[in-house]
Amino acid sequence: MSALGLVGGVVQPVLIVTGSPLLVGLMRQVRARLEGRAGAGVGQPWRDLRKLMRKERITPRGTSEVFRFAPLVLVATTLVVAVVVPFVAAESAVDPAADLFAVVALLALGAVALALAGLDTGTAFGGMGASREMTILALVEPTLLVAIFALSVRVGSTNLGAIVSSTLHDPSRVISPVSLLAAVALVVVIVAETGRIPVDNPSTHLELTMVHEAMVLEYAGPDLALVELASAMRLSVFLGLLANLFAPWGIAAEATPLALLIGVLALVVKVGVLGGLLAAAEVFVAKLRLFRVPELLAGSFLLALLAVAASFFLA
Amino acid sequence: MHVQLLDLACGALLLTAVLVLWRRELAVIIRVFALQGAALAVLVGVLAAHEGSAELWAVAAGVLVLRAGVLPHLLRRALAGAGESRRETRPLVNVSASLLAAAALTLLAYAVSRPLVELAPSAATQAVPVGVTVVLIGFFVLVTRRRALSQLVGFLLMDNGITAVGFLTTTTGAGLVVELGVSLDVLLAVLVMQVLTTRMRETFGDTDLDELRELRD
Amino acid sequence: MTLLVPVGVPVLGALVHLLFGRRRATTWAGAASAGAVLATAIALAVRVSRSGPVTAPAGLLRADALSAFMLLVIGAVGLIATAATPAYFRAEIAAGRATTRTAARHGVLVQLFLATMALAVLAANLGVVWVAVEATTIVTAFLVGQRRTRASVEAAWKYVVICSAGIALALLGTIVLNFAAAHTPGTAGLDLVTLSAQAHGLDPGVTRIAIVLLVLGFGTKAGLAPLHAWLPDAHSQAPAPVSALMSGVLLSVALYAVLRVKVISDAALGTGFARTLLTVMALASLALAASLLIGQRDYKRMLAYSSIEHLGLVAFGAAIGSPLALTAALLHVLGHGLAKAVLFLGAGRVLQLTGTSRIDGVRGLLSRHPALATTFGAGVLALAGLPPFSLFASELGLVRAGFGAGLGLATSAALLLVLVIAAALINGTSRMLLGPPSTEDVSGTAAASPVPIALACGLLACAVLGVAAGGLPALLDLAAQPLVVTR
Repeated sequence: MSALGLVGGVVQPVLIVTGSPLLVGLMRQVRARLEGRAGAGVGQPWRDLRKLMRKERITPRGTSEVFRFAPLVLVATTLVVAVVVPFVAAESAVDPAADLFAVVALLALGAVALALAGLDTGTAFGGMGASREMTILALVEPTLLVAIFALSVRVGSTNLGAIVSSTLHDPSRVISPVSLLAAVALVVVIVAETGRIPVDNPSTHLELTMVHEAMVLEYAGPDLALVELASAMRLSVFLGLLANLFAPWGIAAEATPLALLIGVLALVVKVGVLGGLLAAAEVFVAKLRLFRVPELLAGSFLLALLAVAASFFLA
Repeated sequence: MHVQLLDLACGALLLTAVLVLWRRELAVIIRVFALQGAALAVLVGVLAAHEGSAELWAVAAGVLVLRAGVLPHLLRRALAGAGESRRETRPLVNVSASLLAAAALTLLAYAVSRPLVELAPSAATQAVPVGVTVVLIGFFVLVTRRRALSQLVGFLLMDNGITAVGFLTTTTGAGLVVELGVSLDVLLAVLVMQVLTTRMRETFGDTDLDELRELRD
Repeated sequence: MTLLVPVGVPVLGALVHLLFGRRRATTWAGAASAGAVLATAIALAVRVSRSGPVTAPAGLLRADALSAFMLLVIGAVGLIATAATPAYFRAEIAAGRATTRTAARHGVLVQLFLATMALAVLAANLGVVWVAVEATTIVTAFLVGQRRTRASVEAAWKYVVICSAGIALALLGTIVLNFAAAHTPGTAGLDLVTLSAQAHGLDPGVTRIAIVLLVLGFGTKAGLAPLHAWLPDAHSQAPAPVSALMSGVLLSVALYAVLRVKVISDAALGTGFARTLLTVMALASLALAASLLIGQRDYKRMLAYSSIEHLGLVAFGAAIGSPLALTAALLHVLGHGLAKAVLFLGAGRVLQLTGTSRIDGVRGLLSRHPALATTFGAGVLALAGLPPFSLFASELGLVRAGFGAGLGLATSAALLLVLVIAAALINGTSRMLLGPPSTEDVSGTAAASPVPIALACGLLACAVLGVAAGGLPALLDLAAQPLVVTR
């Protein structure tokens, strides 16, 4: 644990917690503008969270501790990932936990907790959302692991910090079949994990088309605020991961204030650009029917597998 | 630098093969196939630049014209008479299973081409498994699709893969002859199949090979 | 110079048909060119037995004893088929199923077909062999689909797709073999003689891949399992002379390519590898043919499956690899070619007379068309391996060689399957020939046509071969020599 890692471990979670609702707001604004609407402004998600915090917490009858603790687990796991993964600082605060498998497991844990909560409510929609989410997760987790593993083969270690540093030192690696295939696979994974179009529509109000929203239908008040915040944080974490695995330039390599400032700015810009692009793409693409989603995910799994294969035989 | 370009071209070959397996609309499949032809031409061009051989540059230009220009044009002409049925209907193996099968084929191709790579390790021969993968994926498409045009694209994929393997393994000299022979063969085969597709449409009304049930034991 | 004749004369024949169409003058041009091929083949055979292999100046063509023998087969079967074509088309045009234009196009394509087959057996370079075999697929594609019926279009499509896929595998095998040869000192390129001589230096791993691909690829064109599905459809839907040529010769030419590849395989990998591969494919083909012949309802498909059986037997002979086995296999090629050509031409005539290709639709042929029925029946007896026809001698030789080489189990299995197939064949044919005649006869012409004459000649040749082979044994021994590798 170096000084850089320690500083990063403090700056990153603060940045992500405060910035992720703004990211969501930015994406909604971009979408609104492209659709010809005025939009609610970039700060609207924060206003929504503030409103929700002041409301009464309601727990449906018949639910157990799972329902009450799920939002906390979700936020906690995402926070740990935000601390550990190199977003602003090239070194991690808790180096052993910056491993690929640990990070993916933490993210999966959060998603599973929410799905269990959806089941726990005992309603039809909760169960439906949970089962759909689990189907998608079952296809997405292997792809996520395999795609980042493809990148780690050349580095020789699955430590995310090591992968990021090696890309920093050898920028030409990014334009190789391995990186490109893994990047495409990861984009599809991110779209699926964070519940964006074409897999799931985050702003739908039709319950039968919901995946993520169906699981959280019964939440209200501060619980709902935590769930919303956690979703926004997951989105920022995934986008930040994508940005730093393939374009890590700007990340702080020393613990000087200037480097850290540049690191923060670089992350904000990269994640903002990626979010904006994602939102713009959502305007032009239609949501897939649910039984076509496995095709998309199987395709991305194949691309990830090809990336691993290419990393073994294409130098 | 040339190794990177070579690897990129091979990656594009692989990606386009996967996309042919993935997509359903025949028009998109033909466009993707044209892209693959372009990637193959880039591959040959990179090899030409590395060897400094004007002959190989001519071959690269020929490959570009034939596989990214003439063949897709012929395919599009065969598609033009198809009418409303422009999608691949219910392949024998559904798309998700096909994609997973393609993953298995990639591993198989890698295992099978190990002796080839070990015989003469170089940047070019390292990429031979990619060519073999494209051949296997093309064979898979040929066997599991119901529309005549998809089977034809599968055959052409096999051929692209074989040409890629040919160029990655030959030493100088045989390149022009190989490409000439193979191109002629491919062109004639496609012409024959295009005529047969037209005849099939005349007699059967559509090119869904499910209709071909006359001959059986 | 003599080497160019078998390839050049049919090309000239094709040009004649192209330019002049089908008129009285050109009707026999096809048969004439086939006759020229046969004559050259005999001359070449004599020359090769006396003074060794003949090479053309450019080095692309080469005739050793094996090529001369295969050329003999091409010439003989080609002559029978082209001699029967004019009568066939006369009947087709009279019935309104074809026009003179179709007949002219048929003539052009058949001549090109003969030329490409001759090129395949005379080529000195594996690449040229591949090109010629691919060319045969393209040329015959339109011949198979000549009649514009649903069944023939389907057959043509399956034929082109499966054979092109198989040939593409063979191309990959050729490229891999070229790669292996390029990295072996002493060889460059795909010249068959140098490859066979230097094969022991080839990298075994790479060569193994190449041989499997080549055997699978050329085996597809030869009708061996697993990629045989095109054969019954294509051979049953093509017009009779084309089926005769395809079943009689084309399959054997593809197997010739496999034989040449086997030489390289034996030298590079030891005899066990090719032996196992070919035995498995041969037995699978035999089993398949047997299972699908038992309930067969169409007599042309019956003959097509019988071709798969016989090619399986030849492949088995090649697998055994001893001099006796190879000589028997080559004799079998010739005998099968003659008998099958006769049978397909006869079947074509039966189809024209009765209008149906179902076995149940033909009854009492013996009483209404005795000459045709006798030739047909004799042909089936020849196929079943009865003496005096040469197939008896070759099958006996194969069995003896099989037991002699220690492949007793496989030979017994093959023998059993052959027995089943013979029973099915004779059963089907007897239903067609014997018994009271069926009530309707589509084409009332029971007129004597030249067809039985050509057929009878073919059968006679087959029978004569079975009893006394003339100068053939010496040629066969010479032909089998380069194929036997002692290691």
